[in-house]
This record gives sequence, C-alpha cells and structure tokens, in this order.
Amino acid sequence: MNSRRILKDRAATLFLWGVMAGLCLLLGAILLFLISRGWHALSWDFITQKPRNQMTAGGISTPIVGTLQLVLVSMGFAFPVGVFTAVYLVEYARDDFFTRFLRLAVRSLAGVPSVVFGLFGLTFFVIFLHLGSSLISAGLTLGCLALPVIVGASESALLAVPQDYRDASFAMGATRWQTIRKVVLPTAFPSIITGAILSVGRVAGETAPIIFTGAAFFTPRFATSLLDEVMALPYHILVLATAGTHIQQTRPIQYGTVLVLLLIVLGVTLTGVLWRARLRMRARTQR
Amino acid sequence: MESRKFSVENLNLFYGENHALKDITLPVSPKAVTALIGPSGCGKSTFLRCLNRMNDFIHDCTVRGKVYLDGSDIYEPGTDLITLRRRVGMVFQRPNPFPMSIYENVAYGPRLHGVTNRGKLDKIVESSLNGAALWNEVRDKLNTPALSLSGGQQQRLCIARAIAVEPEVLLMDEPTSALDPMATAKIEELIRELRDRYTVVIVTHNMQQAARVSDTTVFFLIGEMLEFGPTQEIFTSPKDKRTEDYITGRFG
Amino acid sequence: MQSALKGDRAPRITISVVASMGVAIMIFILFFLVKESMPFLLRTSISDLFGLYWYPTYDPAEFGMLPLVVGSLAVTLLSSILSVPVSIFLAVFLSEICPGKLREILKPVIEILGFFPSVVLGFLGMVIIAPWMTEHIDILTGLNLFNASMLMGIMIVPIVTSLAEDSLSSVARDMRDASYAMGATRLETITRVVIPAALPGLMTATLLGVMRAVGETMVVLMAAGGAAIIPVSVFDPVRPLTSAIAAEMGETPVGSDHYHALFFAGLLLLLLTLSLNMLALWIEQRGRKWR
Repeated sequence: MNSRRILKDRAATLFLWGVMAGLCLLLGAILLFLISRGWHALSWDFITQKPRNQMTAGGISTPIVGTLQLVLVSMGFAFPVGVFTAVYLVEYARDDFFTRFLRLAVRSLAGVPSVVFGLFGLTFFVIFLHLGSSLISAGLTLGCLALPVIVGASESALLAVPQDYRDASFAMGATRWQTIRKVVLPTAFPSIITGAILSVGRVAGETAPIIFTGAAFFTPRFATSLLDEVMALPYHILVLATAGTHIQQTRPIQYGTVLVLLLIVLGVTLTGVLWRARLRMRARTQR
Repeated sequence: MESRKFSVENLNLFYGENHALKDITLPVSPKAVTALIGPSGCGKSTFLRCLNRMNDFIHDCTVRGKVYLDGSDIYEPGTDLITLRRRVGMVFQRPNPFPMSIYENVAYGPRLHGVTNRGKLDKIVESSLNGAALWNEVRDKLNTPALSLSGGQQQRLCIARAIAVEPEVLLMDEPTSALDPMATAKIEELIRELRDRYTVVIVTHNMQQAARVSDTTVFFLIGEMLEFGPTQEIFTSPKDKRTEDYITGRFG
Repeated sequence: MQSALKGDRAPRITISVVASMGVAIMIFILFFLVKESMPFLLRTSISDLFGLYWYPTYDPAEFGMLPLVVGSLAVTLLSSILSVPVSIFLAVFLSEICPGKLREILKPVIEILGFFPSVVLGFLGMVIIAPWMTEHIDILTGLNLFNASMLMGIMIVPIVTSLAEDSLSSVARDMRDASYAMGATRLETITRVVIPAALPGLMTATLLGVMRAVGETMVVLMAAGGAAIIPVSVFDPVRPLTSAIAAEMGETPVGSDHYHALFFAGLLLLLLTLSLNMLALWIEQRGRKWR
C-alpha cells in the first residue's frame, strides 16, 4: 500500500519535471525558429536605412526610431505620474475614501484591454483634444497603459524602504516631503528604475493602442514634431504581414523586424529582471 | 535492547561544514517521558528531528551513525519512511493546524493511510480528541475551522491529529513555548496521561517543565549529549559540572 | 511640529493632484466609451444588438454583437482550458519541486516570457501554425479558433504561473512539515494541504489570466481568421471583439454608425475585463480573511 503511494509520488514528480522541460523546449524552439529566419536580414544597413520600394527593400530605421520616440513620450508621462502616485499611496495616504478609490482605479487600469486604451486615445487625445493622429496622441495613450505598471513597481520599491529610515529623518525635524525627497526616494530609486525598465519593455511591444492614435504605415521621414505620425516596430510587423501589398516578398524583412523587436523587448526586460535580482540579493545580504 | 524504544549510537549530524550533533549515544525508554534540555541552539530540536528523519528535508544535511527503533536502524537505506513517520509522530513548537475543519484535521492522517469508512473515521476522531483532552470542548463544533480555536486548543488539536494515526512514539518540540501558562498547564497534564500509551520525547526550554513531566532527562550542550539519567537524579545530583551550572542558572 | 506640518501642505496637495490623474484617466475612459457607444445603443433594439450577424459594411448594415462576443468567449475558454492546468502544474513544480538554484533562473525566465510581444505570437500563428494546419488537417484556413487559442495559451501561462507560484510559496512551511511528519508523501502534501490552502490565490491567478485573454488583440487579429461567425468547430475562424475593433476602426469614418458600434464593442470588452478584475480582487480579500 505504501509502495503504491510512493510510486504515485515519484510519477507525479517526473510528470512535473516533464511539463517544465516541455515548456522550455517550446520556448527554445520558438526562439531558434525566429532567430534562424530573421538572422539573414539583420545587418547594419537594415537598422540604419529607411524602408524603400514599398517596404520590399531597405531597412527599418524609421520604425526603430519611431518606437524609441513612443517610449520616450509614454515614459515622459507615465514615469513621473506613476512614481508620484506611488509616493502618495505609500507615504501620504490615509485610509479614506479617496485612497481606496485611487487604489481601485489603478487596479482597474491594469486590467483594461490594450485596444480599449486605443479607443480611448482616439476619442480623447486624437479627437477631443484635437491632437490628431500623432506621436503625442499615441505616446500618451501608451503612457496611460504603462501607468499602472509603474505605480505597482514603485509602490513595492517604496514599501521596501525600512520605516527606520523615515523615523530617523522625522526625529531630526524633517517634514514628510523632505524625508521623501532626501531619504526615501533615493533609497528606492534603483528599484523604481528597474520597474520603469520593465514597463519600457512592455510599451515597446504594444500594437493595439497605437493603431488608431498615431502609428502610420509609412512616413518618409522620422517624426520631428510631436504632432507628426510615427512608424513603429510592432505596427510595421502587423502591416507587412497582413495588409501590405507584397506580403510574401517582404517576408524576410518581416522576420528581420520581428527579431529586432524581440531583441529590444527581451533585452530590455532581461536587463530589468537581472538588475532587480541583483538589488534584491544586495538587500538580503545587508540584513 | 527490549527495554529500549530507541537506541541511538554515535549519531553525528552536519549542516554543510557545521558539525551540529557530535557523537550522540543515548537510549530512550518505552512508555515514558524523556525530556531534552539545554541552552538554545545546542541541537536538541535537531536531534529530535533525527528520530523521525524530518531532517531529510533540509538541504545539505548529512547524518552518520545509527538510530535503532525497536532494534531496526531507521537510517538504513530503503527504510519505509511513511511507516516510520506513522509510528513516530511529531508535535511542533507553534500550533499548526491545517486550514480545514477540526474534524478534517484529525481525520487527515487516517485518511492518508487508507481509512475511508465514515463510521470508522468518526470513531477515530472522537477517540483521538479524547486522548488529547479536547473532545468535550469541541464535540459540537467539529465542522468549524480549526483556526478559530485558541492557541492552547489548537496545540491539543495537533496532538490529537498526531495520535490519530496510532503512533508508538510522540516527539514534541517545545510544545508549550508559544502558549500561555493556563494552556501550558493543561498540556503538561496531558503529557502525563499520554505516557501510559506512548513513548514521549519532549524538547523543552523550560527546566521546571522538564522536572514536572519527565521520567528521564537528557542534557545537551553545543551539539553534545553531556549526561542523562532519571529526572530526579539530574536535578538533585548531576554528575557533570556543566549540567549543574545550567540547572542552577549560571548560564542559559 | 507646526512648521513641519505647514511646510508639508504644498507638497502633499501637489502630489495628491498628480496621483488623482490615475482616477481621472479611469473615469475618462469609462465616460468616453459610454459617450461614444450611446448613439449606437440608442438606435439599436435589443434583438438587433444580440443579432447573429455582424455585417457592418453591408447596406443595410447589421450590427449583431453575438458573433463577436461568442468569438471572444470561445477563444478565452479554449485557451484557458489549454493553458491554465499547465500553468498550475508549472507553479507547483516551481514552488514545491524545483531545487532553489534552478528556480532562481526559471522564475525570471517565465516572467520575461510574459513580455513576449503579442504581435510576434500572432505572426507565428500566421507563418508556422496556419500552414501546418492546412497541410495536415482538412480545413480551408489555418487561421482559426484553435490556432489563436494555442498562442493565447502561451500568452496566459506566464501570468497565471507567476501568480499561482507566489500563492503556493506563501503557504507556511509549518503546514508541510505537519503533513510530512504524519507520513504523507510530497504529492499527498501538495494535493491535500498546499493546494487547498492556496486556493484563493490560485483562483485569482486564473481569473487574471482569463482577463488577459479576453483583452488580447494582436494574437486574435492575426491568427484567428477574420470571419465574424459563431464557430461550430475549433477549426472555424472567429472574430472576437478585440480583433473586430482593431481591424475595422481604421477604415471607419468617425461618427458613423459603425464607429459607434465599435465603441460599444469596446465598452462590452471593458465591462467584461473590469468584472473579472473585481471578482479576482474580491476573492483575494476574502481569502485573506480566512487565514
């Protein structure tokens, strides 16, 4: 009887190892596939040249720059707003209606589908605020999407600052804001930055919010003003693969663009995760 | 040999490089209470966990030596650990009932070992709760969550849970250190009753408790077993000076 | 003390104003979505709303939401069935079986997988899965419900696994010890003690994964096919709410009936995901009271 129980236990252990191994194999296969198909397209020219000939030739410099611009605009909004929202929630908030409402709102924002952000961006930024289909509309839309992510990461970072630090500062007569500015924020800053890095990864890979708020199929030049439209890597992939006029011909470029996007997103995310792991280990050994 | 429940011979335990238990040789008498005393961190709990091989779960932990239970070495490769842990039960320092009903907590063990008949389970639950002096307090709320009981009651529930599988030995790791004096007293009384049916080995920080409940006392110091003997003797005329120093409170 | 409080008033107010932008955004989203859906709601009868046909570009146009809603539900259901059990298995593996050092590597790997751009997964659906399907199965198109659901499953796994693993690991060590000390095997301890104790967290994890599936756009846009029909087989194409909006909004004149209908689709989507989110929150809070 006992041996049957032990057998079941061993079988389950084996099974679970198998599931994990299966997932790793699947992941590896996907990455290998994409790398093998996209590798040929990659070259210095690919990254620095603009698309030519209805996208069948040339590079993807415009979408790359566009993606960077979108990241900058969205983070320009989401980072300060997100960090200060977290500061409010952790340092100032009392258990009142406003705070509970705020938490609920941030939590709800985290669940809003990306395409709904797109609709909101369209009706609010593009139409209502007359910003038109532009870098700033798309960037702000992405900013709204990134906001809950930054709030969450910053909150954790601030909560991790030991209360002792604050107490010591208060005991010297500092105001709450002075304490936050001089003690809490500097201490939490590395963690806050890693949270921001992770949201950059998220924002760079998003497509739906920018489709009707600022992404264009083709712009001959880089965007020079906030009111210009932009090209973006995820949108470029979408369009080339589904709506372009030369889907089969541009396949190699599609694979190349996919690889570049992957490298950027996974690279940024990996950096964020590794840095965060280092910070955590340092914190652990300090105690 | 027959008069010993456990016979420990040259037991050595290492946590990595740290030699935590040094060459322990010790008999444990059946149907009696053996108390392990000594300053904190000197290996009492570690030793206790060797008796049911719970140290197996700790990484980087190596055990050498022999621990005979009724004449068979439990560290022999191929030992049936399920049966071992059924014969040797354990109660922990902090009461740790499962987040289930009182009934389900006590029925957990018997269910594991194959008892499915509801009638049988009912009987086992009742007699185990009786054996832990808890039955009268919970008989009409068996289906309420175990976590709603007080600390002392939870600990007695854990004892009931442990005896539901009909062990021969009960290992108790500082069972009252998280409880208030009233609850402690109740459990000490229970231990005196349990002695009739089980071999009890109890680790305690509290010397007076050892003096109150045990038949044999063992003194541990920094991983070594310094001396053991009938409780009366240890407390009135210890042989080792260090034992005497500890008992009289010169260190602790 | 007085001066410290005074000196703090301005920063406090400024920061609260900044913080309230989060509330403002959420309210604005709801407001504008409702505002733009109203024209559609007002002129459409209930029976038309739940009609079986979504032909927005026909003349006369039909705006039956049912195929879109069923499409969303179908993809969500199928992808959840495929991926939630796998995620729980992975979570159990990471929490209970995986040795510490390996865990430090695998947990972040899974987390990073969660950032995989959905457009890339949709792309995979088009270039690998679809051709494979048409080659090996007797169907017209490889862009269908099953294709999208598999990819959606891959999207959901990281979320559910991470949250489920957190939930399992936070079950006290004590519980496991008590179970082992009675002679239980690891499998028995996991199934009889750990999982039941972590159940609220596991449910929350599942709900949040489902919520993500409902709201996902690119995968279904690229891999689910484009037909707004109610699927009869798993190899039928579907058009969930998200892909309808993403595919059609670009071509739709602002202010037209189609425009407002799409906003209503967006509103439905928002309400769906919000309810799932709130349900998860409720379970989380109730679960906390138990312990």
